[in-house]
Amino acid sequence: MASHRCLLLKGVKSMSGINPVVGTKDVKPKKPKKQKSSALYKQEHRVAFLFVLAPVIGFLLFSVYPFAYSIYASFTDWNGLNRMNFIGLDNFVKLFQDPYFYQTLYNTVFYMIGIPIGLGLALLLAIALNRGLRGTTFFRTVYYIPVISSLAAISIMWAWAYNGDFGLVNQVLEVFGIKGPNWLENKATVKPAIILMAVWKGLGYSMLLYLAAIQSVSKSFYEAADLDGANSYQKFLNITWPMVKPVTFFLVITNIIGGFQIFTEINIMTPTGGPEYSAASIVWYVWQKAFKYYQMGYGSAMSLILFVFIFIVTVIQFYLNRKSDYSLD
Amino acid sequence: MAVQKIIGGVLIMKKLNLLLAILLVSSMFLGACSSKSSGNSDEKEITFMFRGGEDEKTAYTAAIKKFEEQHEGVKVKIINTDADQYSTKLSAAVSGGNVPDVFYLDSGSIANYVDNGIIRDITEDVEKADFDLNSLWQFGVDIYRYDGDTSGKGALYGLPKDVGPFALGYNKDMFEKAGIPIPDKDKAYTWDEFLKVSQDLTQDTDGDGEVDQWASGFNATWSLQSFAYSNGASFLNEAGDKVTVDTPEFAKSLQFFSDLSNKYNTTPNSSQAETLDTYQRWMNGELAFFPVGPWDMSTYAKLDFEYDLMPWPSGDAGKSVAYVGSLGLVVSEMTQYPELATELAIYLSADEEAQQTLLDAQVQIPNLVDMAEEWASDTESVPSNKQEFLDIVQDYGVPYPTFATYNSQWLDEFWTNITPVVQGKKTAEEYLKEIQPKMQKLLDEANEQAKMSK
Amino acid sequence: MKKQKRITDIIVYVILSLGSILMIGPLLWMISTSLKDKTGVFALPPQWIPDPFQFDAYTKLFQLDTLGYGIKNTIIVSLSVTIVGTITSSMAAFAFAKLRMPFKDWIFLILLASIMIPYPIIMIPQFVMFSKIGWVDTLLPLIVPGLFGNITMIFFLRQYLANVPYSLIEAAKVDGAGYLQIFFKLIFPVIRPAVAAQFILWFMGVWNDYLAPLIYLNSPEKQTLQVVIANLKATYAIQTDYPLIMAGSVVSLLPVLIVFLIFQKQIIESVALSGVKG
Repeated sequence: MASHRCLLLKGVKSMSGINPVVGTKDVKPKKPKKQKSSALYKQEHRVAFLFVLAPVIGFLLFSVYPFAYSIYASFTDWNGLNRMNFIGLDNFVKLFQDPYFYQTLYNTVFYMIGIPIGLGLALLLAIALNRGLRGTTFFRTVYYIPVISSLAAISIMWAWAYNGDFGLVNQVLEVFGIKGPNWLENKATVKPAIILMAVWKGLGYSMLLYLAAIQSVSKSFYEAADLDGANSYQKFLNITWPMVKPVTFFLVITNIIGGFQIFTEINIMTPTGGPEYSAASIVWYVWQKAFKYYQMGYGSAMSLILFVFIFIVTVIQFYLNRKSDYSLD
Repeated sequence: MAVQKIIGGVLIMKKLNLLLAILLVSSMFLGACSSKSSGNSDEKEITFMFRGGEDEKTAYTAAIKKFEEQHEGVKVKIINTDADQYSTKLSAAVSGGNVPDVFYLDSGSIANYVDNGIIRDITEDVEKADFDLNSLWQFGVDIYRYDGDTSGKGALYGLPKDVGPFALGYNKDMFEKAGIPIPDKDKAYTWDEFLKVSQDLTQDTDGDGEVDQWASGFNATWSLQSFAYSNGASFLNEAGDKVTVDTPEFAKSLQFFSDLSNKYNTTPNSSQAETLDTYQRWMNGELAFFPVGPWDMSTYAKLDFEYDLMPWPSGDAGKSVAYVGSLGLVVSEMTQYPELATELAIYLSADEEAQQTLLDAQVQIPNLVDMAEEWASDTESVPSNKQEFLDIVQDYGVPYPTFATYNSQWLDEFWTNITPVVQGKKTAEEYLKEIQPKMQKLLDEANEQAKMSK
Repeated sequence: MKKQKRITDIIVYVILSLGSILMIGPLLWMISTSLKDKTGVFALPPQWIPDPFQFDAYTKLFQLDTLGYGIKNTIIVSLSVTIVGTITSSMAAFAFAKLRMPFKDWIFLILLASIMIPYPIIMIPQFVMFSKIGWVDTLLPLIVPGLFGNITMIFFLRQYLANVPYSLIEAAKVDGAGYLQIFFKLIFPVIRPAVAAQFILWFMGVWNDYLAPLIYLNSPEKQTLQVVIANLKATYAIQTDYPLIMAGSVVSLLPVLIVFLIFQKQIIESVALSGVKG
């Protein structure tokens, strides 16, 4: 029994043990040291380089240049209308003393609680839809509809749904005898309300990606596990979860990057940033400063700090992921 | 051999990609170019950017057609934008050097745009166009004056697209049913009188033990100013450099405002009145008093009850105060056709037919004084006391506190943190004492930025 | 064992159904609102079944002269970006996942940085850039950047390709296949489900984008659908014709839904990969 399981795990490792960061480190064939082969490698380098040329050029043109522009702007007093005057680190000094900066940063990080909730639900959903039940296509479509609806329309609808007097949410709660609060106007409930909406909206997206990943898991793995007498939980833990790890990694990274930049939902649900700025996200605050208060230099400075944050967090995640893959041994 | 195959493969791929991209891009270019070179060199094109609903679009399109007929060879390109993101689009246009010739600008931004050299001084152009400024509301004209230091006087930088007096309305049927005399249309309630009437009107009309009718449900952001100013308080001092909310008069007005909800229970008890919330109750006939702007008239025309306008209750200063907003039409400093552009602005602001169309659609009150007075003399149609709108514009209306400041951040600070007060968890005095220094700091910042822009 | 599966199936079915009500609720509300009249929108308590029930909003919608342009332009933008962009992204993903290249991972990470930059802050510099080359009021700023690839798609495909054994590619190379052949004949079919999933998302993202079109497009003939709908909002909220906006949103939803229905089959039929694993 034990030996079978070991075999199973080994098999799994060889598939997903491929380190996403470094590429094919585990399974890569040894580099021959012959002269002829390195010429072939040079060829491979060239092809690879050409293949990635397009995104790199796009990046340089459309990301690097504008970003450099705004980095410069963060050291000026630019008001968005006129010339920029260099003021050195003033914006940054002000920024680190700005209580709203910290408040909105806190809010933004708080919103990320929705990520594990959403991913967990999505994975369960994908597993459920993988059972081959009747009407799977219907369910897949229904769960996906929130994703493809325009964010603006969705936010308007949820803003109404959360209305304290007659919103849908409170109507439903009334059925259970609970008197719901005025969700978006109450400091304590506004963030959970927005998290709920964000999870609702993103569920179909994560579900779809998980479904694609699960579908690619060969049935033979599960059959072997059944032979071993593994129960559903064991099958999940030892087969499904490791197999979808690359997708999980992808979803966590992109959700965190996206989560740091949450804006439109806030802007529509709470146009004033919520009571005492309890709903405002960082990018929303940047928007206010840049476009409403004519302080684009300051807004640029905040964005720069935000970018550094995100970059560091992402690099850490990549590093951790690399480490945890080795631990599969 | 293999190497050649690989190179060949890669080259083909590159070529395909490139070809596709070129095809697409060139087709777009063709599409783009054709629209640019549509006119001949004799044709002058003026761009007009605005935001608005169907009614405004209709009215302005007609006025523009007339304008084009009057001027041969002149074409007006209309850019209509989403109301919420108008300022974003305008910002982008200004940064990119694509400022439209004529465009909407809110009255509070005039000074900024002038200081940054974006809009044009049209005093002379207006004189040349032989247009009588006195046919427009003086309030509406003066709000677009700026002398480089103070807003409200000096050279003219814009014409009003509209003036929006924020009047107080009441549910006439409710008063009659309750047997309470209708508010006097010339004499404002004192706060004591207002409170008494409010308490009388807050009742349980169907006897089920729950109050289902209230006096009011005001949103502080738009209504507090009236209470404060009519009590002799104000947000700023005359010079515009000191925040004056920590005065006893202001504290009394804010406390009264909050007490209406929390102490006297004359408002619905759902904590914050999101404008749409109490809007609905008003529409349902559950509130006695509610603010009314000219833009509300078309919707309120369908109400189940009769409503009318009255002066806002007045505090110790003895006279009502109401807020008047205004959106303006300005001309770009970089325009190639300054006189034509100004004339277009005049058309949009003062053309009789356009104003009549907007009036009929009940979107705004006319900018032309004569037309407005004639309209107000009709006391038959609802609201009967249309004169109240005019009184506000001519007599007791004031601009929003941020009208003369560089940005609105200092005032937004006030609204952001006011929730505990309006919920009755904090006293007005306490709040005002703590918020004043924060507001002052932001105001100082704004004033400094204003100085640096000049 | 089989009975247990059936019971679980039923439970799962019930939960899924309840969940779908939650998912579709707001959408039904959207449709319901589009069938109301202007004041019915604000009725208290809110109506589910519109009274009066009317298609006015839809008639008004289709009478808008800008609607046709909106649809046409949005299709042009969405399709050109996603089709070309998918090819460039897939090829780049293949390179990142399976080919040898110096500094490969660093280049990838730096490209990933492009989505870490908050949009509001590059919006204006990008606009200034495009304005200088005269691309304002054209569809070009909305299309060209996307043609170069989408890092999110590249990222996902790279992850997905992690499950494809390297030995496969080695075998093909030994057989004498060129890299292009390997890509089109071997890799692309294998990542089809992933590509399909990302394609739907990208298409939807471009279709629903309204900020960029808003600041770049001026002429009514150039507008995209989302901007047309957003422009229906009047200056004062109370004047806004919400049924009309909802009708527009419903109509705008349909093409994306169709794309989804077409492509979601691709995601599920991943026969090629299971053939490899065996």
